[in-house]
Amino acid sequence: MGRVSSWPARAGVGFLRACIVVVVTMLVPAVWAAAVALGIRWGPGNPWSWVAPFVLVCVGTLALSRPVCRMFRLLVVRWTATVVPAGYRKAGPVTRMSTGYWWNGFSYERTRRDALLDQRWRVRWRDPANWRDLRFTVIAPLTAGVAASVPPAGVAVAVLGLAQPALPLRLAGVFGLAVAIATAPYAWRCAEPVAVRFLGPSATMALADRVEELTAQRADTTVAQAAEIRRIERDLHDGAQARLVALGLSLATAEKLMETDPDRARTLMREARSGAATSLTELRELVQGINPPVLSERGLIDAVRALALDSPLEATVSADAQLHLDPPIESAVYFGIAELLTNAVKHAHATRARISIARDDTGIVVEVEDDGRGGAGLRAGGGLEGLCRRLAVFDGTVEITSPAGGPTRVEMMVPCESL
Amino acid sequence: MRIVVAEDLYLLREGMVRLIEAYGHQVVATAATGPETLDALLKWRPDTAVVDVRMPPTQSDEGLRAALAARRELPGLPVLILSQHVEQLYARELLADGAGGIGYLLKESVFEADQFIGALERVADGGTAMDPAVIAKLLSSGPSNRRLEGLTEREHSVLGLMAEGLSNQAIGRRLFLSESAISKYTTSMFNKLGITDDDNSNRRVLAVLTYLNRP
Repeated sequence: MGRVSSWPARAGVGFLRACIVVVVTMLVPAVWAAAVALGIRWGPGNPWSWVAPFVLVCVGTLALSRPVCRMFRLLVVRWTATVVPAGYRKAGPVTRMSTGYWWNGFSYERTRRDALLDQRWRVRWRDPANWRDLRFTVIAPLTAGVAASVPPAGVAVAVLGLAQPALPLRLAGVFGLAVAIATAPYAWRCAEPVAVRFLGPSATMALADRVEELTAQRADTTVAQAAEIRRIERDLHDGAQARLVALGLSLATAEKLMETDPDRARTLMREARSGAATSLTELRELVQGINPPVLSERGLIDAVRALALDSPLEATVSADAQLHLDPPIESAVYFGIAELLTNAVKHAHATRARISIARDDTGIVVEVEDDGRGGAGLRAGGGLEGLCRRLAVFDGTVEITSPAGGPTRVEMMVPCESL
Repeated sequence: MRIVVAEDLYLLREGMVRLIEAYGHQVVATAATGPETLDALLKWRPDTAVVDVRMPPTQSDEGLRAALAARRELPGLPVLILSQHVEQLYARELLADGAGGIGYLLKESVFEADQFIGALERVADGGTAMDPAVIAKLLSSGPSNRRLEGLTEREHSVLGLMAEGLSNQAIGRRLFLSESAISKYTTSMFNKLGITDDDNSNRRVLAVLTYLNRP
């Protein structure tokens, strides 16, 4: 809905919206009223006159509470662009076990359909959001509902009053019309604060979501870390260790041949020396991948400068004077920048890059811009996704703008207290 | 020569002392921390010093900073920096004062003992000894890369060896060419790059390094 300017139009739209709010909020009370009416109609003599209305109230309220809340949220978003987070529990994945049964997070089911059905019900009924929705179905009619019903009520009074011949009643009708016209543009507006106050996720739900998010992140991190440690172990085992064994062998043989065949001994010595040099080169590359020495010797900014110097790009680095970050954050940001520079060379065929590292009151902001051909995006298992995951551990975020044809601009933000 | 050895790992320090003494030079002092290194350099004013980058107490770039501080006090004090890794950033900081007498090598360069001692002597004479890895990075990094496009492959390799600090004679030996052929290459190369050729090989190396260092 665009901005409506003229007064009559605003009043008309406002009146319509007020009516819609009244209908939505009064749905559940209408069910209750219907139940009461049923009980009264069947009379006190009939035993069903208590049971049936009671069942109707329970079932009706439970079944309608979530749709009413969803509708209310939708209306608020459409009219005011205020997004109220729903915070409903999301169902996890359903996986097939080796036994052929399906596990849905709660129980084993024979078929996928059963598993999904069972899961849907369990998730629906265990959701703490249900209590909030029920509370809202009670609160909404008493707040937004009452306020929004002023213009329709005024119109109703006007229609009824103006149809009567008596003067006081007519005056009342005129007054009702005036009230309706005056309040029409504003009456529906209390839907927004009510939604924000009572429809958002409660603190408990927000905490539960956060716990879920952190659990997933922890799993990610441990898997990544284990893979990293395995890689390091393999590199050491197949590289430096094996070479050192060969080195020892050459030296032992050389020692033996010293007296008998000095020329061969000398050749072996030379081999041993070049073997040692090669294993040192391997170790250096390995160390560079674990934790670049410049980073521990000089900190993030100088390490990034060294990175820019080594890059085939013309890279400029602008940075705030002193940043004191925790080593894990420094390392994540460093490898992130390294990844982006590599991408700029390999995939975007860029010639220039601009790196800026700044801090604001919430954390550090790193921008990397290149003049390549753009089109960078998150692909599953890609480098950029790995970068996001690396930073997510510290609640960091990555924003990528990379239109086809470039330039690519990536912004990494990591919140940190200890600046 | 009178030499100071600064290295925190006992085994490496002793090995280095033994190697240097085997070549008939004298080790006047050893140091194992940054402050000790600075004191030793200022007190002994050695002909040259071998300094490790990473040393206690902070385990950061203590050795490098001690060397730079000593050279601020005594400009041109010859220092050979040894490290487990070479960084262009450090090379640029060492070369920034343009005084020469600077070496920056990987630790495994001591495996080639003759060349290592040669580098020490070169540095003591006010020359430079740069690790091939640093030079390769300098030659291939962005801005200088484009400036060197006009060079032939042979000129490129001559330039690289020259930047390491070798004399024409030594370059000739490496590339199996006569010294006169090398000077022909250097002349044409300097003309292309617009550097003034200089008979003094140390000044010439510095000119090349400054050229490569230009952002």
